[in-house]
Amino acid sequence: MEMAPGRIATWTAWAVIVFLQLPVLVVVLAAFSTTSYLTIPPQGWTLAWFAKVLSDPAWLGAIRMSLFLAFGATAIALALGTAAAYAIARRMVPGADALTALVMAPLVMPSVVIGVALLQFYALTGLRGSIFGLLMAHVVITVPYIVRAALTSLAGLDGALEEAARVLGATGPEAFRLVTLPLIRPGLVAGALFAFITSLDNVPVTIFLISARQTTLPVLIFSSVEMGVDPSVAAISTLLIIATGGILLLAERRFGFHRFI
Amino acid sequence: MKRHGIALAGPLALVLAVFFLAPALLTLPTGFREYVPGQGITAGSWTLDAYRDIVSDDFYREVLWRTLGLGLAVTAICLLLGYPLAWMIARGPAQLRMPLLLLVIFPMMLNLVVRSFGWIALLANRGLINNLLTDLGLIAAPVKMMFNLTGMLVGLVHIYLPFMVLMLVAAIQNVPRDVEAAAMTLGSTRRHVFLAITLPLTAPGILAGSILVFVLTISALVTPRMLGGPTYRVMATLIYDEYMQMLDWPTGSALAFVLTAIALAIIWAANRVARRWAVT
Repeated sequence: MEMAPGRIATWTAWAVIVFLQLPVLVVVLAAFSTTSYLTIPPQGWTLAWFAKVLSDPAWLGAIRMSLFLAFGATAIALALGTAAAYAIARRMVPGADALTALVMAPLVMPSVVIGVALLQFYALTGLRGSIFGLLMAHVVITVPYIVRAALTSLAGLDGALEEAARVLGATGPEAFRLVTLPLIRPGLVAGALFAFITSLDNVPVTIFLISARQTTLPVLIFSSVEMGVDPSVAAISTLLIIATGGILLLAERRFGFHRFI
Repeated sequence: MKRHGIALAGPLALVLAVFFLAPALLTLPTGFREYVPGQGITAGSWTLDAYRDIVSDDFYREVLWRTLGLGLAVTAICLLLGYPLAWMIARGPAQLRMPLLLLVIFPMMLNLVVRSFGWIALLANRGLINNLLTDLGLIAAPVKMMFNLTGMLVGLVHIYLPFMVLMLVAAIQNVPRDVEAAAMTLGSTRRHVFLAITLPLTAPGILAGSILVFVLTISALVTPRMLGGPTYRVMATLIYDEYMQMLDWPTGSALAFVLTAIALAIIWAANRVARRWAVT
């Protein structure tokens, strides 16, 4: 005998699944619709909004800025986070627990509070509106995912493997590169993917730090929506939906992404 | 060994000290500065005005209670809607597991602004739902579903429901099936097995999921701003306005401190409860 879900639970579950996909479907439909507001069924089909978005320098600039920040922040967080996680996992630093708590703190702190804190700090130090300041802010909010993934992977690793490599004559860095790194790679890739999406998604920290000239994609969508709903917002959103779905499916195929969430 | 460790962990510790810890600590004193409208912050002043306003002013109090109420409501709805789905994923047909899990993770990974935009397209006065209801002749004038509680609830539940579901899936998977099967063999009804075994054994997961959703909800900025509009405000949107529009940094800082304190206190209390459960 088995506690399989009953009829009510099953129906609720399906309804919730539909509810979760609803806004996604609506955005995609709106992006291909000829009318500027949504109707069901749509009045006609067009690719005009995509052409409009992809020829607009404001949108293109925002896409470039977002990709630069996401790639840059993920790369820096990956380098700093993996090194720190290794030192923490191998108990090579004094106060490893305090350091772990400090790394994880940006996850607990409300994003908007990190945003205003950095706003004040950058106003004081003259970093306000600088790309460097924005990049470091994104490192702070993405590095917890990397460290968490690295710590989990390192905990499941047999330290004897690395020692064996050392006994056989490998230097410390060699043993790490040739033995440890390949073994923790799936976890690191999952952490990096999470970090990348977190950076690409972020509004509550970014919005306090950007200058009027450079803005990121989600912040531009955010401010465009405040001006009024426009199908080009739906088009750019659809591109993001396709990219997210593609990355998720690829990550799932390659190494079973769901295991790392 | 120690030297290597510091070389490895040092850079990250330094970055976090400069770009996280120092800014957070520097923001704290701002809440005790005097703010004069039109002139800004009086340098070197010390006052409790900002904190007193938050406690005594009706407007701030209303926003505070609204934020906490919203957090409770969103958490309760996520729990009610999330449990059946989590159960289905954990105990339903095996071939449905992976597709369902991906359909929960996909919206979670999707850009927050995009999801809120989708809800605007659905809930606006000239949005999909109102158009549909008008065309069907069910309503004469559009029903207001945005810039009020309805819009905010729908948007926030949509965003935090996947977190709850994933937490609950993990909890339900941890319940030993033998215990449930044993109870059923001994003549318990499904309802009784659920209430006496499944529910209590998943309590730690329910607590963890609820805390996560509550803390995320009271901190949310983007969705409340997009679906609540500029007038229907919560703590996070108010902090944004104080800093960016009113330029009243002392009040903004005090609100930020109160919000952080509430979030930390709840997480701390939940950890204590979880530890007590773990012992017994």
